[in-house]
Amino acid sequence: MDNYAYRKFKNRLFFALSLVCIIVALIPLLSILIEVIVRGASQINFEFLFSVNGIGPAIQGTLILIGLTSLIGIPLGIMSGIYLSEYGNNRYASWIRTFNDLLTEFPSIVIGITVSVVVVIGIIGSFSAIAGAVALSFMLIPIVARTTEESLKLVPNSVREASMALGVYRWKTILRVVLPAGKSGLITGALLAVARIAGETAPLIMTVLGSRYFFQGFTEPMASLPITIWRSALQPSAAVQAQGWGAALVLILIVLSLNIGVRLFSRGRIRK
Amino acid sequence: MKILGWPQKSTDKAEEQTVEEAVLTSEKMQSINLNAWFGDKKVLKDITLTVKANSVTAIIGPSGCGKSTLIRCFNRMHELVPNARMSGKILLDGKNIYSSDVDPVLIRRRVGMVFQKPNPFPTMSIYDNVAAGLRLTGVKKGHNLDEVVELSLKQATLWDEVKDDLKKSGTSISGGQQQRLCIARAITLQPEVILMDEPCSALDPIATAKIEELIVSLKRDYTVVIVTHNMQQAARVSDFTAFLYLGELVEYGETDGIFEDPRSELTEKYITGKFG
Amino acid sequence: MARLLDAGLEQLTVMVYKSGEVAKSAINLSISAFMNGKDAMEDVHDLSDVISSMTVEIENKAFELIVKYQPVASDLRIINSYMKVAYDFERYGRYAWDISFTHKKLGALGECAVASDLMPKLVEKVSLMVSKSVKALREHDAELAKTLADTENEVDELYFAYLNQLSKARAQSKCVMCNLLVSRYLERIADHTTYVGEAIVYIATGEKISLR
Repeated sequence: MDNYAYRKFKNRLFFALSLVCIIVALIPLLSILIEVIVRGASQINFEFLFSVNGIGPAIQGTLILIGLTSLIGIPLGIMSGIYLSEYGNNRYASWIRTFNDLLTEFPSIVIGITVSVVVVIGIIGSFSAIAGAVALSFMLIPIVARTTEESLKLVPNSVREASMALGVYRWKTILRVVLPAGKSGLITGALLAVARIAGETAPLIMTVLGSRYFFQGFTEPMASLPITIWRSALQPSAAVQAQGWGAALVLILIVLSLNIGVRLFSRGRIRK
Repeated sequence: MKILGWPQKSTDKAEEQTVEEAVLTSEKMQSINLNAWFGDKKVLKDITLTVKANSVTAIIGPSGCGKSTLIRCFNRMHELVPNARMSGKILLDGKNIYSSDVDPVLIRRRVGMVFQKPNPFPTMSIYDNVAAGLRLTGVKKGHNLDEVVELSLKQATLWDEVKDDLKKSGTSISGGQQQRLCIARAITLQPEVILMDEPCSALDPIATAKIEELIVSLKRDYTVVIVTHNMQQAARVSDFTAFLYLGELVEYGETDGIFEDPRSELTEKYITGKFG
Repeated sequence: MARLLDAGLEQLTVMVYKSGEVAKSAINLSISAFMNGKDAMEDVHDLSDVISSMTVEIENKAFELIVKYQPVASDLRIINSYMKVAYDFERYGRYAWDISFTHKKLGALGECAVASDLMPKLVEKVSLMVSKSVKALREHDAELAKTLADTENEVDELYFAYLNQLSKARAQSKCVMCNLLVSRYLERIADHTTYVGEAIVYIATGEKISLR
């Protein structure tokens, strides 16, 4: 009898412990969220969001960066993922895969500096939106490659076999049969990767630099939310700092909506 | 002495053929000294057998004896597995399908395959699944797709069941129907030979019976090779049977002969269920 | 490895052997009664009925095995052959009864003055063939079964010789008829033993031969 009560107690203790741990883990996140909402909400108004006095340029810049990065990074990432999944059963591919994984962990500041030297100084000659997009792509591609590979690996081999057995060439099988089958995983993976990249600051510092004005050209410096937040935080003026909080709130909202959008999308797919 | 009304054993078709025709067209596919490996493991040992045109040939044997590997060599699917290799020849209408000037993809259009687990393309409708062969191989010029799809589904005895639902997803129908869909997909390309790898294993008895009827009817226009672990099925549908054991061809001959009085003791033991 | 079919085959085999043994005793009983003038018609009749009902059971059992287990190769040959043999044994029983019936109605051998050693010889050979057939079946002995062919030839010779004799015999017509019929039945029994022999060869080798 005693034993049973003791075991029940141990069970409950363990459960309680793990519950406490997760609460502790979530507290910082929640507190950040609350802090940002409280401090930034007051800043939100039409002028703040859309005019050049507020963070209009930054929002525009972030959206442009997201767009450009996706344009460069997603196709390259998906093609890499296709290689790893469909042709990657050999030794060389496993080296490539390892290297790819390494790249996902690469310090973003190092990427920033490198792109700064090569693109900003070497190729274009000035801080520019393109350089920023390039730097962000270097971060995006390995992630998308990985998620693409994972999604395509989930497509059962029987589907590939069915297509090959019909006498369809390999590339067509991949394009017309495997990719459509792994479509939802691909899209989810790509969007989540983009959401991750949207908030990166370090690569942008020495590539895009930042600006107070709306978009002025691909080869010109550009504003973006992370940089605005960073700069605002360093200013002594309380008003400017408040703007930073507002920018932070907007950035979080963008990232959250991307995440939630992806989740809704995949749930809709599953129900289908 | 001919007795009026007594059923004849040979078909009229066979009697019409001249001797030369009989010799030329009778052997559709042949394997000659076929060996196959997965890495270092030899799974097929020196297999030599013939598949006659417009017949059903069954390949039987216990699990792991190399049956699936054998038919996958017949349509060059074996080589798609990493570390897989083979030696020997396989002739289709007398020509070696493994010679260096032969495109494997074209062979697979002439030698179709149906798999154990039905595998319709999940993102395509029933109609698209059947048409996939033509669309993906680019062989669709000059064909009225609607007619072709209807014909294939009719030949696969699936038309009546799905004709009002052609836009439904290929995976929304029952297992037995999916398998018939896969058969329809395979025959759309009008292959000369159809390979079937245990096509009824994943199906219930009624669906199995339907597929068996289908197989017998396909004999008229195609040559069928079917791998099966069900002895009675082999006895029911096939004209010729090959018994494989541990990668070797133990016995090959007319089905009636093998199931009445097999030449090899091993064959006898296997088909009567004394092992395997 | 014991298959489900094996238990059924066992039963079928036991039934067929029993039927053979009973048929053998029926024949021996009726023949010796005929040779020695005893009346065994009732007993032989009972034995014959027993064999008939056994045959029905054997057929049912065989069909049951076929439907349940869809046997092939040697199993199928055995079941197929046992059904044939069961019918042949039923015939043995039937002819045994015919002999004792004829004997009862028309008189025993001793009552006839058809002096001949052919009848005893015929009787001896046929009796031997019956034993052989039952023994060969028990052991699935194709070689033993094949020897029935020679004995069959001898029986045919004896039979025709006897017919000849009878046609010239100077004896009561009742006698002649009785001996004619009995020798006829004996010859038919011999034929049926060869059918049993053919079935045995088929079980053992899958060959369909003729032993006559």
